[in-house]
Amino acid sequence: MFEKELKVGIGDMKLTRNEGTIITYALGSCIGITFYDPQLRLGALLHIMLPSRVDTRDANIFKYADSGIHETVRKLTAFGMVKSRTIVKIAGGAKMFEISGNADFGNIGQRNEAAVKQTLMREGLRVSAEDTGGSYARTMILNIQTGAVSVRTFGRAEKFL
Amino acid sequence: MKIRHYEDMNLQELDVMKEIGSIGTSHAATSLSKLLQKEIRITLPEISVLGYEEAIGRIGNPEEIVTGVLVKMDGQINGLMLFLFNADFAHVILEKLMGQSCKDFMELDEIGYSALVEVGNIIICSYVNAFSKLVGVDINLSVPSATVNMLGGILTVPIAEYGYETDKLMYFNADFLMEGQKLPGWLLMLPDIRSLNDILEKLGVC
Repeated sequence: MFEKELKVGIGDMKLTRNEGTIITYALGSCIGITFYDPQLRLGALLHIMLPSRVDTRDANIFKYADSGIHETVRKLTAFGMVKSRTIVKIAGGAKMFEISGNADFGNIGQRNEAAVKQTLMREGLRVSAEDTGGSYARTMILNIQTGAVSVRTFGRAEKFL
Repeated sequence: MKIRHYEDMNLQELDVMKEIGSIGTSHAATSLSKLLQKEIRITLPEISVLGYEEAIGRIGNPEEIVTGVLVKMDGQINGLMLFLFNADFAHVILEKLMGQSCKDFMELDEIGYSALVEVGNIIICSYVNAFSKLVGVDINLSVPSATVNMLGGILTVPIAEYGYETDKLMYFNADFLMEGQKLPGWLLMLPDIRSLNDILEKLGVC
């Protein structure tokens, strides 16, 4: 049987219902955020790259944690999502390179994570599981039928959040 | 500042960057050749300004495991240099340098890994030296930082670093050829936007 698999690029979001999977590859300092309403079997995966949309003329709303989460929640709500039963999981926010004597470099992962959590809190959503930080990239997969979220990395066992 | 995004460069400006890249790459090839005691040729270089997904598509796939060596430039030019290579490249280098095989990054030991990082560093440094002489600027280089991981994750580093300025990468493509065999390595030169303007201005095209 051919299973529906949606791919989410960088600074993008996909949502679907009932069956299939949504996948985003190789999250580095970016963060993948899955939203899942088990009752409706409605899920979304958002892949953000930066903390906040500073330039409000910028049309890439899914590129930023603040505008991306806001828009995803708006769309899901239109499809009937109820915040109180929605399960949110996050992965990513790694620091891929360490430059000695320059601790600030590549800290974007940490800043992304903080912005994601802050925005989710403002939206009234809680993070129920996370796999963040470290120095390695992650591929994140959301199974729409079961709501299971798995994280694939290099040289480590697949992890279920 | 005339150029605000990488993609704003016109053909003439791209040509100048290509020339810089081509001189840099020739110097990098010479260093590599000295190191390996082998003749290294380079193919005719190309320069492209690519989005993230396109850049990944040119190199491989997002989950492909590569080694990335990153050096930060500062001084009169600010930016990043990123050299990427896959296991085939590592295998050729380690075999020539240390008589060691490396079919897979998983079997790489610490000495092999530092040798590879150093090779990446030498390639980057000879490139930047040639380029800084040509443009007439002083550039300080950081200690190299390296990682073995998914290509997609590594490429998000420059993308996120300049994410507020541009969505594009300037990707410089020239293959290193050793005894007719292609060494799969990729060099990305990423001056920040201000530095890109300075470079073009110094060379009298902007």
